[in-house]
Formats: sequence, structure tokens, C-alpha cells
Amino acid sequence: MATNFAKIACAVAFAAGVAAPVTAAAKSSTVTAIEERGTLLCSGHNGSYFGFVEVNDKNEWKGLDIDMCRALTTAILGDPDKAQIVPLSWAQRFPALQSGDVDVIIKATGWTMGRDTEVGLQFSLPYFFGGTQFMAHGDLGITEAKELDGGTICVEAGTTIERLAGNYLKTIGIEHTMVSYEKASELRAAYLANRCDAFAAWGPFLAVLRATELEKPDAHIILSDQLSNEPIAAAMRQGDEEFVDMVNWMIAALLIAEEEGVTSANVEEMASNPPNPKIARLLGVDPGMGERLGIRDTWAKEMIAAVGNFGEIYDRNLGEGSPYKLERGLNNLWSHGGVLYAPILD
Amino acid sequence: MALASELPAQSDRWATFANTLRKRAFRSPSDSFTSVFIFGLMLYMAWTMIDWAILSAVWRAEDVENCANTGGACWSVIAARHRLILFGLYPFEEHWRSTLACLAIVATVVLSCLPRFWSTSRLITLWIVGFGAYVVLMDGRLIGQPVVTTDQWGGLALTLFMFSAVVLLGMPLGLLLALARRSKLPVVRGAASLLIDFIRSLPLLTTLFAAAVVIPLLLPDWLNGDKIWRVIVGFALFFACYQAEVFRGGFQAIPKGQFEAGKALGLTPFQTLSRIVMPQVFRHALPSTINMVVVTFKETAIVIIIGFFDVLASANAAFGTVEWAPYYIEVYAFVGAIYWIFIFSLSQYGEYLKARMAVAKR
Repeated sequence: MATNFAKIACAVAFAAGVAAPVTAAAKSSTVTAIEERGTLLCSGHNGSYFGFVEVNDKNEWKGLDIDMCRALTTAILGDPDKAQIVPLSWAQRFPALQSGDVDVIIKATGWTMGRDTEVGLQFSLPYFFGGTQFMAHGDLGITEAKELDGGTICVEAGTTIERLAGNYLKTIGIEHTMVSYEKASELRAAYLANRCDAFAAWGPFLAVLRATELEKPDAHIILSDQLSNEPIAAAMRQGDEEFVDMVNWMIAALLIAEEEGVTSANVEEMASNPPNPKIARLLGVDPGMGERLGIRDTWAKEMIAAVGNFGEIYDRNLGEGSPYKLERGLNNLWSHGGVLYAPILD
Repeated sequence: MALASELPAQSDRWATFANTLRKRAFRSPSDSFTSVFIFGLMLYMAWTMIDWAILSAVWRAEDVENCANTGGACWSVIAARHRLILFGLYPFEEHWRSTLACLAIVATVVLSCLPRFWSTSRLITLWIVGFGAYVVLMDGRLIGQPVVTTDQWGGLALTLFMFSAVVLLGMPLGLLLALARRSKLPVVRGAASLLIDFIRSLPLLTTLFAAAVVIPLLLPDWLNGDKIWRVIVGFALFFACYQAEVFRGGFQAIPKGQFEAGKALGLTPFQTLSRIVMPQVFRHALPSTINMVVVTFKETAIVIIIGFFDVLASANAAFGTVEWAPYYIEVYAFVGAIYWIFIFSLSQYGEYLKARMAVAKR
């Protein structure tokens, strides 16, 4: 009863737009519930979030976050098509997780202290890093935020970016007017209609926007200031450590696979003749990979066969294989100059 | 003389028109200037519009490369993505089912608008058949087709379903609430007033958010049902509370003497209500009712906030990929046209009803 009350308080607090402290007690294992249901409930979007959550011409979901969800589904249920994507708005995602409408939020969600503590979430390893940056009209002739004095800055309402941009400009002593918009498309339209001098958004989003700006991609400049470097991670309900382990090792396995050169193309070959003990362990040739998580030993093999390693997922949705052609940058493996790394597979 | 005015020749009419025009628009030089300027501006806008929407437009999905050059509308985005806008995330191969389901809903609404169907038994049969057909087709379980769960229902199909379900549930409920509020029993009257005032004091968004997110935490699992049913019930309750007030306005317009006259004639209270009072209440309440219905149609777009893929959400998704991102104006124009067609038909039907009911006044 007390748990229920706490959860209600949380949802109500969200409806009112404030956060309340919550302590969620232990629940039955999420993985068991997913196996009984036969589907994994993932967060989608009420529309489209470029590169991460989109809908293709066949009315099917695609994107980086969708592929991460399909990877997790394959790991647990052995079939990527058993992922059930529930459309959610930004504001709705945390209450929906608490009320059990979704099992996990994989929705370009930044790991913040407030979300980790007050909101009662549990975050996985970060699988993506994106920083907040400013983009300005090229004809202003500026290169950094210091030159934005007296300007109008547009932001998307209710995101971490809104607060970040305000704090940053205050710190460097820049007078500005902040205008917030509910939707990314409104924000984009306002900026293109010259209603703002610059707008703050997530770096990858700015790059995507610039790439899709067919007419004049060079007419916009992304300012050099890095306001933040936000770790993007999967969010889960607190109190189910076993599920957190599952999601962490799903991400780890995707990274280890890339590190070791295991791809969707060569995974079968690698499994029949593993070149080293680490790969043998990863692909379930040597036991231990699944047993310790309470699932099949071959889950990582099936997952890589279905969606590929992290590099493949990135390339398909954001990188070279996608229209966005976004540099790996921070999102490369540590061995290639990025900040992604996996825990030790023993 | 009299004969000539009864049969005005074509040239006379033209002369009258020219005369009116001269008097109204070209009385003084400044009048003439304003008229010419505004007329010219309107012509220019109309021309730009036609040029953009039709003459310079690109129509076929394969011709999308031309879109950046012509400067006209790029209807290719509609050609390629209209199924997403109309049916949301509904599986592509099963679109024949959602098409039929949409037709079933439209047919149900159109038929219940015909006077021929205005009896309780006919309406109830019609609604059960119509909505049953929709749910059976969309879900697919009972007709041996692949099951499509409600979180994949979307687009126009979802908007139409939510709208008609809300109005058809909310209308009788509103009438009941209005009657309860007039009850002689203080408990019934008090409860109805409390409910109406409570719900009317909440924004629609809060009501829907509570129905979608908070209710599942309060109810046991087996009573929860699907999110879509909870939201429809919540929305219908909201509609009913407003509609109850519309009906109350209708009741207040009936002189007390009519109830007394009914009693004096030996009619039961039910007969007085159904034969004398209600027909007049409906007539008085008609303009505001049409207004409520139109507003409700537009308000269905709010469900986007609680993660429903209604026609507006799927429109957002339709231009939410790199290749279609620049053509959001075309998508919004298309969705605007859809809304316009439905709302215009609704208000025209309202006009027809008004004319029909005016017969009683003659």
C-alpha cells in the first residue's frame, strides 16, 4: 500500500510538473514478467526524434534507440520482433515507467542526479554521449556564445537543455532573452524564421537539423561552446538490480563485440571457431554468459546476429550508413578516441 | 414597369451589381484605392497559393528530387507517407482492416445522423454494430487475423474512433447527468452537481493524464483494461460534464407551466419529459451542442501528450525522417484539410438540423 501511494505521489507530482521523493520497493523480477508476457515494452516517441526514434515508410519504428531496444529484446526473448514499442511523449516517459506501461526507457534520456534519486529511476551504463551546443545563423558572423550578447535564444521546453543554456549564459555574463517551444519542429521553424538568433539543443540534433536543411547547410554555424556532455542511458524502475544487470550487460556485450570485431556477418563463424576465450565466453561457446543473468548462454550471439554490434547499430542509424553521417567522435570505443568502454568480461 | 422588375434581364442584374459596387467600393478616390489595393492583394495571395499548391507542385513520390528546385509544394511526402498519417503504426499489410474499420465508424456516425435512425433501439443497435465492427476489425482476434494491439492503432483511424466513442458515450451520459442535477432527491442532485463541477474544474489534459497514468496505480490490474479505454472513458466523462451544462441551459428555457400542464393532462412524469420537454430541450441546446462536438473533434489532438499516435502525432512522424523533414508544411496542410473536411461536414449537419427543427416553430 505504501509503495502504491509513493508511486501515485510520483505520478501526480509529474502531472503537476514537480518531482517528489520516492522510494520504490522491490518488485518481482522484470525479466520474469517480460518472459511471461512474451513481449518487451519499450518507449517510443509521439512523433519522431531524428536518428533515435523514427517511423519508416512501412510504418515501422527505426533508429538508434529502437535498435537498442530490439537488442535487449533479442537478449531476453531471442527475437527482435517481440519488442513492443509504446509511443510516449517526453513528459510521460517516467510516469509510464513507474506505472508499468513500459519495462525500460531507451529514449535519448540523460542521466541526471534528480532522475536517479527523486524520480526513482535506475540508469544503465551510458550508451551514447551528446553535449548541448548552440547553433546560430551564419550571417551573424559569430563563432562562440560570448558574442551572443543581447540575443534571443530558443530552446525546447521542459528539457535539461533549457536550464543548462540559461545557467551557462548567466555564468559567462551574457544578456539574453530565452524563448521556449514545446516541439522540436516549432523550435526549428522559429529559428528558420529568424525569430531567434541562436538556439540551444543537443549536439547530434543540431547536426541532424543542419544536414536536413537542404537549401543552405552552410548558412548555420554550430558554436564551439560545449555546454555539457550528457551521458545517455537506459532508465529502469528502482528495486530490480537483476534487470539493471541485464541491461548493463546487453550494452556491454554490444561494445565488447565491436571491440573484438564480432559483427552480425561473422558471428556464426566466430561462434563455431572462437579465436580467443573472451569471444568464446561472449558468444556462449563457454558457459557463464547467460547463467549468471538467468537467461540463455547464447543470448549475446543471437543479439549480435539480429542487430549487430554497437558500431553497426550506430552506423546504420546515425553514422556513415545513415543520411546523417554523424561522426562517431565521443561515441567511439575508448581504443579509437571515444569514451565508450565495457566492464570486464570474466 | 412592374413587369420589367419581375423579370430582370441579365444586363439589368449586371447594372445593379455595378451600381452597388460603385456605391460600396468606389465612392471616393481613397475608397477606390483601398478596394483596388485589397483586391489586388487577395488576388496575389490566391495566385501564390494556387501556384504553390498546384501549378509548381511535385506530386509523385519518385519525383522528390525535383522538390528542392520547383519552389512549389512537395506532395511527394503525402504520396509516400499518407498511410502513416491515416493509420499510424498499424501494420502495413493489415491496412485493409483499418480502412474498413474507418469506413465502419464513418458509416455509423453518418447513419446515426439520419432522422430515420432516431429511436433508442435503432441507435443502440447501430452503435453496437458499428463500434463492434471497428474493434473486431482493428483487433483481428475474432476474425482469425493477426492480432494488432491498441498501442499500434493510430492516425486518422484512431482520431475518428476516439472522437465518435467520446461523443456517443458522452452524449447520453451528459443527458443523465443533466437530469440527475434536476432531480428532486437531494443526494442524487448533490452528487451530480459535485461530479460536474469537479470535472469541469480540471483541465482536459489533467483528466486524460490521470486516466492514462494515475488510474493504473489505483486500480487492481484486472480492472485496468487498456490505456485507450481508460482515456476514452475519461474523455467521455469530461465531455458529458460540459454537455450536461448545455442540456441544463436547454431545460431552463422551458417554462414551468409546461410541466404543470403535462400533469394536468394526466401524463406521467416520464411522458411529460420525453414527449413535451426533451424535444424542446434538444432544440434549445442544439447550437451549443454542435459547438461542443466540433471542439471535441479538435481536442482529440491532445491525446498526443499521453503518447497516442493520433492523426497529428503520425503527421509529426511522417516528416520525422531525413528525406521528408523539409516538407512539414505540406504534411500540416494535408492534416489541416482532413480536419477541415470533418469539421465543416459537422457544422453543415448542424445547419441542416437547425433548419429541420425550425419546422416546429413555424
